[in-house]
Amino acid sequence: MTGLGWGLRNLGRHPLRTALALAGIAVAAAMLLDMVMLSGGIEKSFSELLLARGYHIRITPKGTFPFDTEAAIPRATGLVRALRAEPGVRAAGAVLGTSVYGRTADSLVTLVGYGVQPEAQGLYLVTAGADLGPGDTLGVLLSEPAARLLHAGVGDTVALAGRLDPQMAQASTDRRLAVRGVVRWIYDSRGQPSVGTVLPVMQRLDGRAAADPASLLLVKATDDRSVATLAAHLRERFPELAVNSVADLVVEAKRRLVYFTQLSYVLGGMSLVVAVLLVGTLLTITVNERLGEIATLRAIGVGRGTIVRQVLAEGAALTVVGGGAGILLGLVTAEYLDAILTSFPGLPQAFSFFVPRANTLAVAAAVLLLTGSLAGLYPAWLASKAPIAATLRAEAT
Amino acid sequence: MIQEPGPRPTEIALERGLAERLELRVGDTVRLGAAPDSMTRLAVVAAIYEPRPDPAELSRQGKRVRMHLPDLAALLDAPDRVDRFGIGLAPGVTAESAAAALNRYAFGFRAHPSAAIASESSQTFKVVSRFHRAIGFITIVASAVFLLCIMLLKVEERRMDAAVMRFVGVRRRTIFGALVLEAALVSVLGSILGAGLAWLAGAATNSYYRRYFDTELIFSLITPRIVLFSVCLSLLLGLAAGALAAWRLVRTPPMVLWGRA
Repeated sequence: MTGLGWGLRNLGRHPLRTALALAGIAVAAAMLLDMVMLSGGIEKSFSELLLARGYHIRITPKGTFPFDTEAAIPRATGLVRALRAEPGVRAAGAVLGTSVYGRTADSLVTLVGYGVQPEAQGLYLVTAGADLGPGDTLGVLLSEPAARLLHAGVGDTVALAGRLDPQMAQASTDRRLAVRGVVRWIYDSRGQPSVGTVLPVMQRLDGRAAADPASLLLVKATDDRSVATLAAHLRERFPELAVNSVADLVVEAKRRLVYFTQLSYVLGGMSLVVAVLLVGTLLTITVNERLGEIATLRAIGVGRGTIVRQVLAEGAALTVVGGGAGILLGLVTAEYLDAILTSFPGLPQAFSFFVPRANTLAVAAAVLLLTGSLAGLYPAWLASKAPIAATLRAEAT
Repeated sequence: MIQEPGPRPTEIALERGLAERLELRVGDTVRLGAAPDSMTRLAVVAAIYEPRPDPAELSRQGKRVRMHLPDLAALLDAPDRVDRFGIGLAPGVTAESAAAALNRYAFGFRAHPSAAIASESSQTFKVVSRFHRAIGFITIVASAVFLLCIMLLKVEERRMDAAVMRFVGVRRRTIFGALVLEAALVSVLGSILGAGLAWLAGAATNSYYRRYFDTELIFSLITPRIVLFSVCLSLLLGLAAGALAAWRLVRTPPMVLWGRA
């Protein structure tokens, strides 16, 4: 009989204790998987979100990150023209974010307004209707929540207002616009009512058309590999602006969410310790109980190596079965935990904290198997060192 | 000769972190502007203040400078414009009724009771709290299974002792009680040791994050209620596991326990 066969048979002798050990390993493995997913998920999810439309660089007012403050870059149209003329830039566009108001039957509703350059935009995907044309000053795009709020669909006309004056009780700017399409704004939080127009229309609604402001500029590099070089060049070319590549923004996001990353390391480590203690304790007690059997096997010529392999195989079998169940459990709990964390106010709806990936699963499984097997080392050493004659004598009395 | 007083210099108060970063002291003069290319206004550092510890501000990278409202309006070229008003109410007037009255005539603004704003801005912490509870639940399940397993093994280790006691005439009930008592003792001692470890881990957590975020906030708080809950839970689980294992042991014939059946 092989070491694994002996190991499995021995586990079957104590079904209750084996079941409890497997349950413990499964919960520990689930926690480990969740924490491995959490530690890498933030980075991957954020990076994918930022690269959703292929724009590699964000340019914002000095000292700020995209939509962190209300600060704006003045003379945006000229800057975009200058950016598009730079070598290594495939596309560049400006975005202005502001508050606007939509008129419904008897009231005003507050909306998030985006002014975009449709020929170079990285903020939305059209889900119904059509996109805006570059010079379409009569059209508007709505998010699903905005469409519901304004009771409007593709082809309808909506009235938008900006800069409300509380003393005069009127809006300083007013526009009637035709709904060209319904879009999914990539960075919107759940239920956020957003509308988009071409940049000049939003600037007029915001009452700052003369300053030609933009909240951020998006830049797409001609080559993925040249992004860092291009970002460095743009930093030199525009020292009064903050130039951040997706990698820079991911680093900033990780800095802000450092708590979750560190929590994942701590809890992942604790899960491993629990798994190791469980396997180690169970195997040590099992070996102590079976010292007589082990001594008999040694007495009839079974080698130390076989005994060690048997104990290690028992630990590995426990870890594999418990870990397999744990991975399934971990995927379920990750979904639940992700649903909790993604309800953070203002977080993009498409953002995810727990991202299942093949390599994540492989890393978690490999680490668990390795530590589970290593946990069997001490009991295996105990088993191999058992004195044959003394043990057999003790068993006989 | 009498000199005409000049225009009042702009006075600013700096957050301590900002003053440290820029190596500024009270009395220093700085240049302010709304954009990097318009740093034209001179201002004197009149004070350096310690911001009130606020969890909502933990990940904020920007540092704050305070100045008189007219100075900021002039700096931003936005005269007579504010982001919000704070309103103190006369005795007997509730914030809700005042906000409702203002909102009836509101155009371009909205009045909110402070409690509503506090509740809204604490949403983030409610989410974090829910996450902690979920993680806590998983941890308790893992600990419970671990404890059950260990207690079961611990009691099963006493097979020979139980067999000998049965041979010399000790009653099953006595053996059962002794084993359960032993399990309870181990659980309580283990959980007290665990509470000590948790206290050490909490102190390390507080020390690390306070330094990391440069704040006086408390990140890990172990209250008597939490300790009591942990001890009671582990005692309960230890008793359950001990009772289960002891029950199986006392039902097994002594010869089987002795390994000679």
